[in-house]
Amino acid sequence: MTPDHDGVSRRALVRGLMAAPAVWAAPVLWAQSRSGGHRSTAGRDGQDGRLVVVFLRGAYDGLSALVPYGDRHYYAGRPNIAIAPPDGTQQTTLALDAMFGLHPAFAPLMPLWKQGVLAALPTAGSPHATRSHFEAQYHWETGAVGERSARPGWLNTLAGLRMQAQGAAAPGASDGAGRQRASGAVPVQGIAMGIGEANPQILSGTAPVQLVPKGQAATRQGALGNGRTRDAVMGLYAGNDELSRMFRQGADSRMQTADTLNQEAMQTPDEPALNTAKMVAANNGAGSVRGLLLDVQHLSTLMRQNQHLRLGFVSAGGWDTHANQGNATGLLARSLGDLAAALVQLRAAFSQPNDVVLVCSEFGRTAQENGTRGTDHGHGNTLWVMGNQVQGGRWHGQWDGLAPDQLHEQRDLPVHHDFRAVLAQVLRVNQGLDAAQLQALFPGVAWDKRLDGLMRA
Amino acid sequence: MVSMTVVNVQGGLSRRRMLGALGLLGGAPAAVWAATGSAVMPSSVPAAHSDARYAQAWRAMSRVGYGPTAALSAQVLAAHEPRLWALQQVDAAYAQSQKPPLIDTDTADFAMPLPLIFEGAQQERQARVRVKQATAEQTSPSPVRRMGKKDLADAPEPEHFSRRLAMQAAAWRLLAASEPERENPLLARLTEFWFNHLNVFAGKGSARPFVGHYAVHVIRAHALGRFEDLLLASARHPAMLHYLDQVQSAAEGSRGMQGRVRGLNENYARELMELHTLGVQGGYSQTDVRELARVLTGWTVSPQDPSGFRFAARVHDTGAKRVMGVAFGDTSGRGGEQEGDDAIRMLARHPATAQRISRRLAQFFVADQPPEALVQRLSATFSRTQGDMRAVMRELLQAPQMWDADNRLFKTPLDFACSALAVVRSGTSEATDGRTLLQTARFLHDAGQPLHGWQTPDGYATDAATWMAPEALTRRTDFALTLARNAAEPAFLRPYTSAATLEAVDRQPAAMRAGLMLASPDFMYK
Repeated sequence: MTPDHDGVSRRALVRGLMAAPAVWAAPVLWAQSRSGGHRSTAGRDGQDGRLVVVFLRGAYDGLSALVPYGDRHYYAGRPNIAIAPPDGTQQTTLALDAMFGLHPAFAPLMPLWKQGVLAALPTAGSPHATRSHFEAQYHWETGAVGERSARPGWLNTLAGLRMQAQGAAAPGASDGAGRQRASGAVPVQGIAMGIGEANPQILSGTAPVQLVPKGQAATRQGALGNGRTRDAVMGLYAGNDELSRMFRQGADSRMQTADTLNQEAMQTPDEPALNTAKMVAANNGAGSVRGLLLDVQHLSTLMRQNQHLRLGFVSAGGWDTHANQGNATGLLARSLGDLAAALVQLRAAFSQPNDVVLVCSEFGRTAQENGTRGTDHGHGNTLWVMGNQVQGGRWHGQWDGLAPDQLHEQRDLPVHHDFRAVLAQVLRVNQGLDAAQLQALFPGVAWDKRLDGLMRA
Repeated sequence: MVSMTVVNVQGGLSRRRMLGALGLLGGAPAAVWAATGSAVMPSSVPAAHSDARYAQAWRAMSRVGYGPTAALSAQVLAAHEPRLWALQQVDAAYAQSQKPPLIDTDTADFAMPLPLIFEGAQQERQARVRVKQATAEQTSPSPVRRMGKKDLADAPEPEHFSRRLAMQAAAWRLLAASEPERENPLLARLTEFWFNHLNVFAGKGSARPFVGHYAVHVIRAHALGRFEDLLLASARHPAMLHYLDQVQSAAEGSRGMQGRVRGLNENYARELMELHTLGVQGGYSQTDVRELARVLTGWTVSPQDPSGFRFAARVHDTGAKRVMGVAFGDTSGRGGEQEGDDAIRMLARHPATAQRISRRLAQFFVADQPPEALVQRLSATFSRTQGDMRAVMRELLQAPQMWDADNRLFKTPLDFACSALAVVRSGTSEATDGRTLLQTARFLHDAGQPLHGWQTPDGYATDAATWMAPEALTRRTDFALTLARNAAEPAFLRPYTSAATLEAVDRQPAAMRAGLMLASPDFMYK
């Protein structure tokens, strides 16, 4: 059911890429024209927002990121891995209020907090009590908590909902830049993209999705860059079977991706941090936190250059700190620092009024440290939301402290806020979804009025 | 433990002797390798078989191994039935698993005795301190990324010891998968399956030196044996003990070195139940996880013992424990190291384990959504034989579902890479060189399936939903075209190729055809 390839707009895009200054101007024009032509028919005005989901695989320790330094049980339970309370020096918590502070490695995020565009929910999570990474990730990515049957990813379902709405709106309209759009056409690659070669569950489903590999592989065209070999290869995939259609789709999107990223690389001055990220991404296993910065850079470029892309996904692993977690410094601290750098980059690239970035993980970790100066699998965790539409500069939701009788099974943070209810709050505003659409996305999930203050109306 | 003999494959054994030794001869005439070194179909083999026979042969070679070579194809087609050939591989694979692997002399350190590996690892730590490398251990490079020819063999700097071993291990796996004359195809397949099921991650610094040894001496050695023996060997190996932090686990409150108070680490116990045996619905609780962790306290590494394993009684929790309703600890009379053995065997013999492993085998060999009847049959065989893999594999390879054309399997990146290597290698008498192995490792890394590089203990999925992605397909064609750029057209592949693909390929210049055949849709399925 893939829509026909939109040859007109692709040529226009390529032409646009060739004229460098026009590339920078075009997105602004596009954004302006958007509100005129391509609003979704359901939902609120102009809520054609972009959403980026950052998934930390392996259950990151939120209690080390948003530090409850005001709770004495935090220090009682973590003699070796707690972050020291704020005293204005480097290796201590950066106070946000009387209860919470940021890990010192999150210092780059402090300006965002103060600007009011960054918020945290310290006790969000899945209502399902599983402590299996893989099961919990599956719940998070499908939104179908407790189910094991094959389900699509919720980001894919969301893409489908939006594409339906777009297709129904204004067929044959042209945008402000004068490019004629074919009736009801959405680019063959869809409106959602992810970084990573294997199909992440969150993006799997019937809506077309663009998947770009992690790291520098994304910038290479390979054999398709040579006309002769390209023709020969495309001749193998000329049929109407699923594999052939998928191949052709991949060939197109890959060439565009490489073009876009290489254009960007030519135009952007060298940044030491980015070069390090490139080097490290080339050296490390893809999917590490250090590689996240490069992936985020690619995501940012591709979503900026192709305004059809409204939903983005990246992930990073290496958070499963069972041993020797460290505190203000050490293993986890380094990962948090890399994450902070990536989030700063994301904020820079996604700072339009209706852009939102979400950072989440499949569950949290034990409130107390274990026998090997690390933490084990837990339950509730800190979820971060970033964007102009967010009531930032504060944390949201219920917090009962870390006294043992307040903990889930006497060991973990409880889940006070179902992540789907959090998503519902965000998507209502950011994506203009109505109640029916939210139910379609997350069947059976109740509205959480306690979080009505999370987003600016 | 299987002792290791290292053979110089290039010079020492003639190909014919090797084929004979591996039980792969028989049926096919000897002169498969023409004087020019390129593979030709022997003239005494019938000119054509039925489509069904070719399809069955393709399936047999691609699933029970990593795809056809000229020699393998001739052999399988000459057999009474490809299915029968497949069945014969069970005993052949077992026999070979009891013999040392064929590893080139100068790249065999990764499988050397554990005490030597420990020593090299220690020297590496000291060398690194000396060299004062900035990157900390947990962010050090994934080994396959930086593979270079010299890194495989020559005496390198001591601070690159574990990386070199990891690269050697990866090279061996690729060669074993792509050269049926080096390793029995089914043995290579089951080495992959079991390594993935009992996954360890070469990117974790403390485990890295041991991953190759683990692949050879734990996984390969027990691949066709009894599951509980494999599981126990895995539980006692430094690679696993480090990977899932078991070495750090101790009875709560016990004193470590420098008087440091130590405690329990649940990581291995959890994954042992969740992933290695019962599965997440297998009926264990959080309490069981903790109790099992208590049972396993004291299981740690020994740098001196040839087994690499030591039971540290001093940090073992001697109290009473209860795992899934079964008592362990001093109240039951069993104690110490035996407790852990007993617990692991108990988990291995649990019906949920039979179910879980049978399902994974059916997904690996038959279909992404395997028929339930097949899974149950395999599970019954597994339980009845206490996890005898030969019995289970015979059951699987004789099942009609295995040969049903409707049960399609899309190749993973690893399948694709090894089958492409096998074809290209098949057409030449030269060994696969380091540069090709490097390219292959890089392809796998970019595709998201680096050798020994899956970060999490669940291992990778093998279904089409995971690996069939638009841009990923184009990267396969890149790899195929590069790999085969100097290869002659593999005539032996033509009978397996559809008319449409042959037509498209034949339109192109001869020099491109090998790569195009490997890049074609036909080559994407097994």
